[in-house]
Amino acid sequence: MRERFTPWILLAPSFIVLLAVGVYPLLYSLWVSLRSYFPTSPTVANKFIFLANYRAAFEDPVARHALQVTALFTLFTVGISLILGLGLALLLNQRLRGLAVARTMLLIPIMVTPIAVGITWRILYNPELGVFNYLLSLVRLPDQQWLGSTSQALPSIVIMDVWQWTPFMFLILFAGLRSLPQSPFEAASIDGASAWQIFRSVTLPMLRPVILLAILLRSVDAVRMFDQVFIMTRGGPNLATDLASVYLYRVNFKFYNIGYGAALSWGFLLLLLLTVLVFIRYTGFLRKEAEEKAV
Amino acid sequence: MSADQAPTAAVAVPRWGVRPRYAIRTAAHAARTALLYAAVVSALAIFLFPYYWMVTAAFKSTGDVTAYPPVWVFTPTLENFRELIQDLGALSALKNSLIIVGISTCLAMIFGSMAAYALARFDIKGKEMIALEILMVRMLPPIVTVIPLFLLAQALGILDTYWILIAIYTLSGLPLVVWVMRVFVQEIPRSIEEAALIDGCSRMQVLFRVTLPLALPGIAATMVLTFIFAWNEYLFASLLTSSDAKTLPVVAAVTLKPRAISWGVASAAGVMMSLPVVVLVLLAQRYLVRGLTFGVIKR
Repeated sequence: MRERFTPWILLAPSFIVLLAVGVYPLLYSLWVSLRSYFPTSPTVANKFIFLANYRAAFEDPVARHALQVTALFTLFTVGISLILGLGLALLLNQRLRGLAVARTMLLIPIMVTPIAVGITWRILYNPELGVFNYLLSLVRLPDQQWLGSTSQALPSIVIMDVWQWTPFMFLILFAGLRSLPQSPFEAASIDGASAWQIFRSVTLPMLRPVILLAILLRSVDAVRMFDQVFIMTRGGPNLATDLASVYLYRVNFKFYNIGYGAALSWGFLLLLLLTVLVFIRYTGFLRKEAEEKAV
Repeated sequence: MSADQAPTAAVAVPRWGVRPRYAIRTAAHAARTALLYAAVVSALAIFLFPYYWMVTAAFKSTGDVTAYPPVWVFTPTLENFRELIQDLGALSALKNSLIIVGISTCLAMIFGSMAAYALARFDIKGKEMIALEILMVRMLPPIVTVIPLFLLAQALGILDTYWILIAIYTLSGLPLVVWVMRVFVQEIPRSIEEAALIDGCSRMQVLFRVTLPLALPGIAATMVLTFIFAWNEYLFASLLTSSDAKTLPVVAAVTLKPRAISWGVASAAGVMMSLPVVVLVLLAQRYLVRGLTFGVIKR
C-alpha cells in the first residue's frame, strides 16, 4: 500500500541533506581523530596512532576543567533563562493593548549577531569606561572587575547569555502557551481555582513537553557557545571561562593538533549524546508519542 | 480568566450591596493592569538596553563612543555607516546573506516539517535513532566540520558560491525544525486528522491543509529562529567564502579586528545586521498570534 511509503517519502529530503553535508564531515573527523595530524609541523608524521589521542583526552586536566566550566555555564544559563522566559511568556499572554509590540521588541536580543553581542557587552563590562560600573557608581556601589576577575568572569558571561537567550525561551514557551486548548482553563476557573493553582495544575503539566523541548534545545546550544566568549575573554582569566569550544579552538588553531582536537570533539560529542539520551529517557520527553501509539 | 475582560454589565444593577463591589472590582482591575504594564516595561528596559546602547554607538563619533562618563546626548553622525557601506562592501554582503539565508530557511522548514510529521505520526522502525541522528548534527562543534567541508567544497568547485552555504545552513536548520515541529505536531490530536482522512484526503493533503495551519505558532517560531541562527552564522561563512558570496557576519567581524576596533563601525554593522531580522519577526508576529484562533480545540 502506498501508505507504507509515505513516512519515508516525508523523511527522504532531510536524509539526503544529512548524508551529503552532515555524515561526511563526521566520518572525516572520526578518521582524523585516530591519527596524529599536525598540518603546520613538518617534522611530526601524519600517521595512524589509533586510540592514543583518546587516551590523552581522557587524562587531560584542561579538558576536564573545560567540561566543568561548560556544565556549570549550561546549567545556570538554561535554568535562569527558562524561569525568566516562562515568566515573560505568562506575563505577555494577556489580552492587553500594545503587548504584540512588546513581544516583538523582546525578541531583539536574539536578533543581534553573537559577535556584536560580545563586543557590546565587553564595552558595557569595561571596568573604567563601561556603563555597568557607571550605573553602580550612581547608587554608590563599588566598581566591579566583571570579566577581569576569575570569580566574576563566568557569572558575567552567564548574565550576558541569559540576556541574549531568554527571549528564545520566551518565544518557544509563548508559542506553546498559545497552542494550548482553552477548555481546561475555562473549566478550572469556573471551578474556582486561583491563578496559582491553575498555573501549577493545568498550565505546567500541559506545557511540559514544550518546556522540556526548550531545555533540550537551549542546552545543546549552550554547550557549543563560542563566539561571544571568544570575543570577551578568550577563555580567561586563568581559564575561568574556558568553555569546551574555546579549548577546542585553541587545540585546533593555536596548537594545530588537529588529530587530538578531533578526538576531543568526539569525546565531548559522545558525552553530550549520552546526556541527551538520559534526559529523554528520564523525563519521558517523548512519552506522548508512545501513548498515542498504544491507542 | 474572566478578570481580564471588562467588568460585566450585569453587576451594574443599582443595589447597595453591589455597587461598592463594582467599584472595588474596577479599581483592583486597574491596579492589576498597571502592575502588569510596569512589569512589561521593566522587562523591556532590561532586554533592550544593550541593544539601545549598540544603536546609539553606531551613530556616535569616535570621541563620543569612548567617552566616560557615558554620553547620553550627542550629535549623531552617519560616518560609521558610510565606512561600512563604502569601504567594507556591506550592501552586497547584505544581498548575499538575504538570498542564502532565505533559501536555506525555506528548505529547512519544508524538509524539516515533513520529517517531523513523519516522526510524530508514523510508527517507524528506528524512529528514535533517526531523530537523535538529526539532533546530533546540531551537537557537533562547527570547528570540527569546517575542514572536511572546505575540502569537499573545493573538490566540487562550489567554494565561494551560494550553494555551499545554502547546503550547510539547511543542514544546520534541520535539527531545530524537526525537533520543535515534532513536539507541536504531537500536540494536535490525531482525531482531527483522522476525520480529514475519512473525508478522503491523502496523507500529504492532511499535512498541508489540516496539520500545518493548526501548528502555525510553532511554524512561526521555528522559522524565525532558523532564520536568526543562519543569519548570524560566522565560522562557515568566513572560511568558505571570500569575495563573491561573502555574508554580512563576515563583514561585521572585519570591523572587530583586534588592532583597530572601531566600536562605532562595529556597532553600525551590528545594527545593519539586526534590521532584516526585526522586519521578519514583525511579519511573523501575526502568525504567532493567529494560531490562537485556529488552536482552540474542544477536547
